[in-house]
Amino acid sequence: MTKDLLLSRRAFLIGCSAAASPLLTPVSFAAASGENRLVVILLRGAMDGLDVLRPVGDPGFATLRPTLSREPGLPLDGFFELHPAAAELMPLWQAGQLGFVQAVATPYRAGRSHFIAQDALEHGAGGADGALGPARDGWLNRAVGLIPGAGEKLAVSVGRERAMILDGDAPAAHWFPVEDAGLSAQGLALLTALHKADPLLAHPFAQAQALTQATAAERIPRDAQALSQLGSYVANRLREDARIASFSLGGWDTHQGQTRIMTNQMPLLAGTLLAIQSGLGAAWDTTLVLAMTEFGRTVRQNGSEGTDHGTGGVMIAAGGALRGGRVFGRWPGLGEGALLAERDLMPTGDVRAYAGWALCNLFGIEAQAVQQVVFPGLDMGDDPGLML
Amino acid sequence: MTEPASLLEEIRFGYGPRLGWPLASGGVDPDRVLGQLTAQDPDADLWTGFDLAARLATLAEAKRRKQGKPPQGTMLDLREVIKRDSLAFVTRPAAARLGFVERLVNLWANRMTVSVLGGSAMFIAPYRDQAIRPHIGGRFGEMLRASLWHPAMQSYLSQTGSVGPNSALGLRRGRGLNENLAREFLELHSMGSGHEQSDVTELARLLAGMKAEAADRRMDSRATEPGHKTILGETYGEGAHEIDRLIETVAARPETARSVAVMLSRHFLADTPPDDLVETLTQIYLREDGSLPPLYRAVLSHPAAHGTTLSKFRSPQEYMAATLRAVGLTGDPAQTPALAKRANRVTEVMARMGQPVFAARRPDGWPERAQDWLTPPMLASRLDWAADLARLTGDRADPVAQTRAVLGDLASPLLLSAVAGAEQRWEGLAVLLGSPEMMRR
Repeated sequence: MTKDLLLSRRAFLIGCSAAASPLLTPVSFAAASGENRLVVILLRGAMDGLDVLRPVGDPGFATLRPTLSREPGLPLDGFFELHPAAAELMPLWQAGQLGFVQAVATPYRAGRSHFIAQDALEHGAGGADGALGPARDGWLNRAVGLIPGAGEKLAVSVGRERAMILDGDAPAAHWFPVEDAGLSAQGLALLTALHKADPLLAHPFAQAQALTQATAAERIPRDAQALSQLGSYVANRLREDARIASFSLGGWDTHQGQTRIMTNQMPLLAGTLLAIQSGLGAAWDTTLVLAMTEFGRTVRQNGSEGTDHGTGGVMIAAGGALRGGRVFGRWPGLGEGALLAERDLMPTGDVRAYAGWALCNLFGIEAQAVQQVVFPGLDMGDDPGLML
Repeated sequence: MTEPASLLEEIRFGYGPRLGWPLASGGVDPDRVLGQLTAQDPDADLWTGFDLAARLATLAEAKRRKQGKPPQGTMLDLREVIKRDSLAFVTRPAAARLGFVERLVNLWANRMTVSVLGGSAMFIAPYRDQAIRPHIGGRFGEMLRASLWHPAMQSYLSQTGSVGPNSALGLRRGRGLNENLAREFLELHSMGSGHEQSDVTELARLLAGMKAEAADRRMDSRATEPGHKTILGETYGEGAHEIDRLIETVAARPETARSVAVMLSRHFLADTPPDDLVETLTQIYLREDGSLPPLYRAVLSHPAAHGTTLSKFRSPQEYMAATLRAVGLTGDPAQTPALAKRANRVTEVMARMGQPVFAARRPDGWPERAQDWLTPPMLASRLDWAADLARLTGDRADPVAQTRAVLGDLASPLLLSAVAGAEQRWEGLAVLLGSPEMMRR
């Protein structure tokens, strides 16, 4: 019986021409003169910065995360360790082409809502309540308008979803590399909770999920394929006329079973970065990749081996243009009174300031213009020295 | 402009609220719902297919041309016609203003099923539009008659090959009866019990010679079985009027009344229907000479019609239409090109959910009970569809507002928090579309 069901499920999976990937999402591009390149990756779902960049040197960490970080991480600088599933990235770290910005956030503080926080991250001009400006456009699109000699603008949005970050006056083309994906682990967990509570559907739902998982093995090679396809596409466009690219990578909402999810997610992120690196060739040397997320997660692990919505998080930076091999920003500590609302990592920096200085250094945009147009109301402070 | 239905009317007696369309306040108002039976629905009528005459004319023209005769008229592209008929099985209810009307058409067409498995795909839409749709607000006997005489039914249940053994054709060619239609007419369409094999055989004798080529009621005298037939204790002679008299007799039987009563209450209210409602409907049917609106009124007035527990599980058609309505689409690939892709085509998805369009496996049609739609692959297909549809439409959605719009107070706090807790807008919408609430009515 089970076998027949699996076969029938396979039969219709094979009927789909291309694969589902948890990654695939829009990629947007913009052309500009010069050799410098910027890739902005939106890590949707709120990546747990404390699991990616583990502050093992802080005495509070082991207590707050008794089981989540049980598998030893990869030593970085004596204080922080990298998540073990991102081992592929260690050569980049050693070459000074990988770095992290600790304890950053957007100004949004109101409700820890994914939807609002992602809008705030992409819009770049919101206040603590996350409300958008009237144009509802993206900061990267506004930045494109400021780049001297941008000339013929080229923006390509890839995937079926729209991303606000490059929405705006710049014209956009579209590219759909592969079929979009099923739900993220968290989306699935939410649906599971609903069906579990329904006496009629609880059992069939569990069976349907088992069926989906039993056939998921067939999707994995396609995912990898789609991933390298995406990475090389992004790289190819950046080698040609595009200088700015943005896309998103979801699946980071780890309320439960975080260890398993992160073990799946980190290689996908690492693989994407490495695919961009290898596709760019020599152009990698003048490229900066910023991978940012809408907010961090609670410092204490919760009762279901996961973490909940928090505030301060981590931005990942990579590229030959990066002054890497180090962790930027200021560590706020995990001790008594150091946390925001006694639960979240206290942000010590604004993620937009780092993006803003990157725009100045890569494309010659004046800092004042960044503070007025790209991120209105932002005080960028001093250049944190992210770049060579 | 038709009067808007209330939220509960849309859910329980239609295909769910359509995003952006107004809703009446309050619960189920039987008068308002019954008003749909005489209202117009131009949005749904856009999906009415070519009628039987146009299709038959195409077949005749094709035959003429094959014989080398000069063309006399234009021909329909029947493949395209059938494709659109199949699409309309989902898009019509998704687009409809009068959800109750569409539900009734599908319910009755399912009771008296015709299927492409054994039948001809080109006749199915005309069967639904000509034999079923005009009669949903009339007497059941009239619907039975229109159904029994329709070419789609005649060909699906092999009546076209049934010849009276003692008719001219039977004697000359040695041909005989086919009992298929006679049996299913008594077993599935009307009484369901209280008849015997001899009634089936005698009815087959009476039906022999029915002409299936056109919609009017005629007999082929060369195939008509001569002599008396005794059916359910009554004696019949020959001819179309005798068949019609038999239909009226069967329609008036208490077994038929009860069978219709069970079907209506089971379809709208509960897999195990309330006994009191079945009894009430049976009595009304017999008292009102099989007139259907009084039955609908009794269903709409029953306490179970007003409760806020959604106890029925939507069929794949109902689920697809409800999800499309919840995002304001019809499923028409001309409007939404992403739905033209093979994996996303509504007809393909319907098949994966277990209800391939117009392809019921047996003459008893699609099942009515939840368990029959809950195999793991079918449910997995619903969840895939929910995710795909959400991907397609959810990039700037407000999933919480959408949940309130399509479920109102029926949205549980659990559902609202799950929808709000998704990591992206489209996933919030996927949680709504894949939720148990969206699968129920």
